[in-house]
Amino acid sequence: MENKISTDLIRGHTDTIILNVLRQGDSYGYQIYKTIIELSKNQYELKEATLYTAFRRLEKEGSIASYWGDETQGGRRKYYRITEDGSARYEQYKKEWKFAKEILNYLIEGGIENDEK
Amino acid sequence: MMRNSLDKKVQAYVDGLFSGVGESQQLFDLKEELATNLKEKIADYKKDGMDESAAFKEAVSSMGDLSGLVDDMREVGQNKAKQAVYSSMTERIAVAGLITGILLILFGVLTTAMLFFMGLQLEAVTGTAIFVVFGVAIIVYSALTRETSKKYAMNKVRAILYAVAVGLVAFSLFVAFTTGFATGEMYIAISSFMIFFIIGLGLWLGLIFTGTDRRKMVA
Repeated sequence: MENKISTDLIRGHTDTIILNVLRQGDSYGYQIYKTIIELSKNQYELKEATLYTAFRRLEKEGSIASYWGDETQGGRRKYYRITEDGSARYEQYKKEWKFAKEILNYLIEGGIENDEK
Repeated sequence: MMRNSLDKKVQAYVDGLFSGVGESQQLFDLKEELATNLKEKIADYKKDGMDESAAFKEAVSSMGDLSGLVDDMREVGQNKAKQAVYSSMTERIAVAGLITGILLILFGVLTTAMLFFMGLQLEAVTGTAIFVVFGVAIIVYSALTRETSKKYAMNKVRAILYAVAVGLVAFSLFVAFTTGFATGEMYIAISSFMIFFIIGLGLWLGLIFTGTDRRKMVA
């Protein structure tokens, strides 16, 4: 990873990223962790510590729900699924992101036109 | 299927993370979640060619800063009121189950005794003992899903499997007596006993060997 995304930049989007994974199917901690690495094309790793904190927050606000798998070997997995509230939030976050992306692009790359002089 | 040294190492690490944090059902669940995922990550590193201790170190150090999570759990552990709300509903269901189970067993035993002393044929006497079988299964389920001061509640699927296992063993005895008395043949009693007993015992043993420790630690 040559170019790193700053933690500041991505922090506000942790929930959206997790919801994006879960809206495509139920999953559990380590698998979600691996999926996020894959989605970033190996450019970004969301730390497990951040993930588990986010799971607790998302579950508390009702965006996701959890259930235990029935694996017998190696311990049970705790699976998460997205709720209807969570799907609605995801759509909202996505809209906000698209808007922000456009504006930020103006602000960061835009040239100033000096007509008056 | 036996707990090996790596399992113990992971368990010790996870326990160590939350040492001194007040116990709660949520903490118990989180520890199990962390341990399962950590083991899977270690297995992946080993698949990539790392030896076990390197894989363990790498998996642990790549977790990130867990202090926020520890603080969160500490708060839950301190907040007894929250815990009481969390467990009161399941607690009530478990207690109701225990009472139902005990009453069913009593009913089964008493009606069987009654029929026996009425002087009926033995094969007619054992029929009502089926209530004892159901009572036993219900008690097993309720006792396992109940959170006590020493143990955490078992998850429902596992508890149901346990209840089925114990129920099958109890049912095998019931079938043995019923068919034995009805036919007067010992070999029929044993053969019908055998089927349910072996299935029940197999399930039971499977559960025992895959169980997690639900004991609470003394703070």
